[in-house]
Amino acid sequence: MSALLEVSGLTTRFSTRAGVLNAVEDVSFTVDAGEIVGLVGESGSGKSVTGFSILGLIDPPGRIVSGSVKLDGRELVGLDHGALRSMRGREIAMVFQDPSATLNPVLTIGAQMQLAIAAHEKLSEQAAVARCVEVLNTVGIPDAAARIRAYPHQFSGGMRQRVAIAIALLNRPKLIICDEPTTALDVSIQAQILTEMKSLAARLGTAMIWISHDLATVSSVASRILVMYAGRLIESGPIADVLRTPRHPYTLGLLNSLPGIAEPGQDLVQIRGAMPSLIALPPGCAFQPRCGFARAECATRPELTVSGARGLRCHFPLAEAAE
Amino acid sequence: MLGFVIQRLLQAFVVMLVISMLVFTGVYAVGNPIDVLISPDATQLIREQTIRAYGLDQPLWKQYLDFLGRLVRADFGRSFIFNMPVLDLIFSRLPATLELTLAAVLGATLLGVPLGMYAGYRPDGVAAKTIMAFSILGFSVPTFWIGLVLIFTFAVSLGWLPAGGRGATSTLFGVQWSFLTGDGLTHLLLPALNLSLFKFAMMVRLARAGTREIMLTDTVKFARAAGESEWTILSRHVLRLIAIPIVTVFGLEFGSTLAFAVVTETIFSWPGVGKLIIDSISTLDRPVMVAYLMLVAFFFIAINFTVDIAYAALDPRLRTRKAS
Repeated sequence: MSALLEVSGLTTRFSTRAGVLNAVEDVSFTVDAGEIVGLVGESGSGKSVTGFSILGLIDPPGRIVSGSVKLDGRELVGLDHGALRSMRGREIAMVFQDPSATLNPVLTIGAQMQLAIAAHEKLSEQAAVARCVEVLNTVGIPDAAARIRAYPHQFSGGMRQRVAIAIALLNRPKLIICDEPTTALDVSIQAQILTEMKSLAARLGTAMIWISHDLATVSSVASRILVMYAGRLIESGPIADVLRTPRHPYTLGLLNSLPGIAEPGQDLVQIRGAMPSLIALPPGCAFQPRCGFARAECATRPELTVSGARGLRCHFPLAEAAE
Repeated sequence: MLGFVIQRLLQAFVVMLVISMLVFTGVYAVGNPIDVLISPDATQLIREQTIRAYGLDQPLWKQYLDFLGRLVRADFGRSFIFNMPVLDLIFSRLPATLELTLAAVLGATLLGVPLGMYAGYRPDGVAAKTIMAFSILGFSVPTFWIGLVLIFTFAVSLGWLPAGGRGATSTLFGVQWSFLTGDGLTHLLLPALNLSLFKFAMMVRLARAGTREIMLTDTVKFARAAGESEWTILSRHVLRLIAIPIVTVFGLEFGSTLAFAVVTETIFSWPGVGKLIIDSISTLDRPVMVAYLMLVAFFFIAINFTVDIAYAALDPRLRTRKAS
């Protein structure tokens, strides 16, 4: 079976006044139907831009300069506006970080859901309302038939995010790109939403790309993980393998900085330095200036090498024993 | 909601009382109407009789209290010049100003908001830059000058449109309106255009600034990610989100134009209240001035109240806050 989503060599470039930068550079990965893939990286690593690139939602001065995004074998890069628009929401949907910013505060959630339905099919008012209620029930909003007339501010943060998820689910997409959907929520609500999203994906057969800077969150939902650094994919693989035996020094650094790993009372381990500006990336490996294992060869750019289920972009991968 | 209304009514009452005091003393301080009312060669006897007849021999506070006493019976007094009840006089002129103002403010909004939204949606396009250049013109060129240029161009040189007056009118609800007849409409066009330019420019700028801001928000990104068309996003999301400042300015502009369309009414000899107030000032027709200024204050209170109600209709977040 071929993958649901096939991204290969995707490069998204921003030409700004300060200079030209590749927010996403040569990124390749696949997502199978019904699979949840985690996309991890720190702020500015290009994970959100990857999500927007897949949807064809890159605004100028940004532009996809090369690569391909195939959904069910159909090329999405280069499609015209109309075709991209009708693909969005119906085949690939997206959920954002802060539901109080994404939902329109002056429209009832029912009105917003109906706009999302009307974007793709002509339904009678009655059928549309029925669909809204059904999907709201699916995401666990109690008393959905009445709540449909409520405004976003009348919901709690967690409920608001459920509404946003419901809007993403409305047109039964095959893939949902979740851009940090739990980051803005309380920790207890986070866990709830995570569990429900996971079971939703399993029940509806919807695939997800789960974008987050939080390894712990990703590890609880995703079956595979992609690690990005400075716009490049540097490590990928089944989540358990990558967490147990990280091969890229950056992934190791991320894992070591998790609070769960440190001895209580000890300072957390940090990755020293900060991510370089994308406009002035060092030649070769982008992580090299911060890497404790860097050698002379790291001044040339490592290619993504794939062995089995795992991918890696590093000249000196950590040995299995390094755990 | 009821509490809100009562509170606003009480506020309005106090404001009107203060306004009446200010207006009354203010008008009292401006010249002596007797000099205008009777000819300089009238005898001393006639002079004193007239003064007494108009109550001008009383001290200020007494005159004011008399005025308030009559006000309770909705009697604003009689015009010195026209010798008819002031309210009747004002209301006979008000429809002319009302239709001129409505035409100007509505036209400016219905044209300015879409153009402004477009300019905010595609800020770098040639069309947007043209719209913005035009709006700067509307802001910076004085109204009277544009009025004269309009008359010169369309009435004098081209002879397409009449230069002044209301033209033929037709009756609706017992009031004469120009916009109901073809001839009246041609008379209405130039003064309305003249009045609306500044408001148009303001609406364009407001809508553009709002749209630019909203287009960058996650609300728009989320709607796009759901596959909604750009038209849906602009007409259903953005328009609703920028409505509050637009309604505010609409109300304020409507009020101030209704009250002070003086320049345009004078240039186009439009027989509205603006011309009436200018005439009443030059003839020191005190009752007209006082009644008119109080009416203006009343308009503003009424408009502000309507705008507040409109806020609640436009933004559900305000509704709940008020209810709680």
